[in-house]
Amino acid sequence: MGSEAILLQEWASQPCIMGIDEAGRGPVLGPMVYGCLYCARSYQKTLATLSFADSKTLKEEKREELFDNLKGNESIGWAVDVLCPRELSAKMLKRNKINLNEISHQSAMSLIDRVLKMGVLLTEVYIDTVGDPGKYEIMLSKNFPSIKFVVAKKADSLYPVVSGASIVAKVTRDRALREWVLDETAENMHRNFGSGYPGDPQTKFWLEQHKHSVFGFPTLVRFSWGTCTTYFKDIVEVVWESDKMDEEGEGGSNSGKRQLKLRNVGFTTSKSKSEEIESSGKGRGRFFRTRKLEIVTDF
Amino acid sequence: MDNGEPLSKMERGTLVTIDLKRDGVEDLTDHFHHLPCCIKSTGPASVSHYFKPKPTGIEVDGLPLQEAYFRGRKLDGTTILLPNEYRGFVLGKKSQDEKNSSTASYSGNSNSWEMKATFQNITYWNHDCLPSQNDDFMRAFHWLTIAKALHTPVTPEDLASTSSTL
Repeated sequence: MGSEAILLQEWASQPCIMGIDEAGRGPVLGPMVYGCLYCARSYQKTLATLSFADSKTLKEEKREELFDNLKGNESIGWAVDVLCPRELSAKMLKRNKINLNEISHQSAMSLIDRVLKMGVLLTEVYIDTVGDPGKYEIMLSKNFPSIKFVVAKKADSLYPVVSGASIVAKVTRDRALREWVLDETAENMHRNFGSGYPGDPQTKFWLEQHKHSVFGFPTLVRFSWGTCTTYFKDIVEVVWESDKMDEEGEGGSNSGKRQLKLRNVGFTTSKSKSEEIESSGKGRGRFFRTRKLEIVTDF
Repeated sequence: MDNGEPLSKMERGTLVTIDLKRDGVEDLTDHFHHLPCCIKSTGPASVSHYFKPKPTGIEVDGLPLQEAYFRGRKLDGTTILLPNEYRGFVLGKKSQDEKNSSTASYSGNSNSWEMKATFQNITYWNHDCLPSQNDDFMRAFHWLTIAKALHTPVTPEDLASTSSTL
């Protein structure tokens, strides 16, 4: 999704500060949104008077109102990075799995990169931490040596510029979910997702109703979330060739605590069954073996 | 083998018949997918409602790429046309109700198959890996060229031309 600073304001060439925050990291469905808000350092004091607070403590209407205000404010720029759920699932279920922290770091850095490329003179960036603040800061400083980073827990309630970013992110996530068009076209599907948080009764109800024995869930759902496990207990088992190859290759345990262990979920079964997945050409000439061409006499 | 005659062979003492009659059989061209996983279920599923391949506009190795998602994983695929003189068949056990009861009684272990559908192309999918001409699946088609060379009758003219070039 695009950002609003189409015409670069004059203040952008003065030293600028930026806040970055995320919305929708925890939910089992819908996009995760990274938002940023930036302004001239000289505008900082005025910004503090705009009554941004951590977006979670505000009512939805208030957030929408504040978002409209900041969009109309020529002294402020903003941008978002929307990561759709299927992108999140796909990354976390890749052969080389990428965990949510890495995805978050990449998203935040893509925003900094984008704003810098627009020609904004960023000198200070405030950001809510993901993982260890110290390590995160080192990584950010290494990638953007000209910027001073302030990585803090609860940055959204400490720095108005991050509070503003959290409003940008939260409003974008809520709107995206509200206007979400399901890719799937099966009948009896509806859009009463609830908040998307695993504990929300409405979300639970929606998940139960949209569970499919073969396909699992619509792509709105983050398949890589541990929450899905409970719903997948009785659905059709799917065994992946790529998991089998990984088993043979490494055998080591994987990192990423948030990530779910596929084996425990019924995506895969015990090793002995991996043979039945594909033909092997075992016992035949090299030509056939390397092409996995087997003679089938019994079917 | 394209004349629609039933094909029979003896296998471990059981009679296997495959009925290749194609009349009124469903054509699955453009709907035939080969996934990099084993779905442990047999039966109909609402594939077209959930499985939505999209062209990416990218071509690799001369193969136009598509993408789709299944169970949260991203799949990269491409559609390959079967060679002209070949056709894909979906076979299924002959339905019992077509037969009369006397044959059904001793056909308990008979192996009668019939054509359920045909297809002229296959879309095959890799997980997190772009399709390429080096994939086992693509390379399996090499056999067709070799089989042709092996099974085409050699004419006296072929022999003459071969010996003259030696």
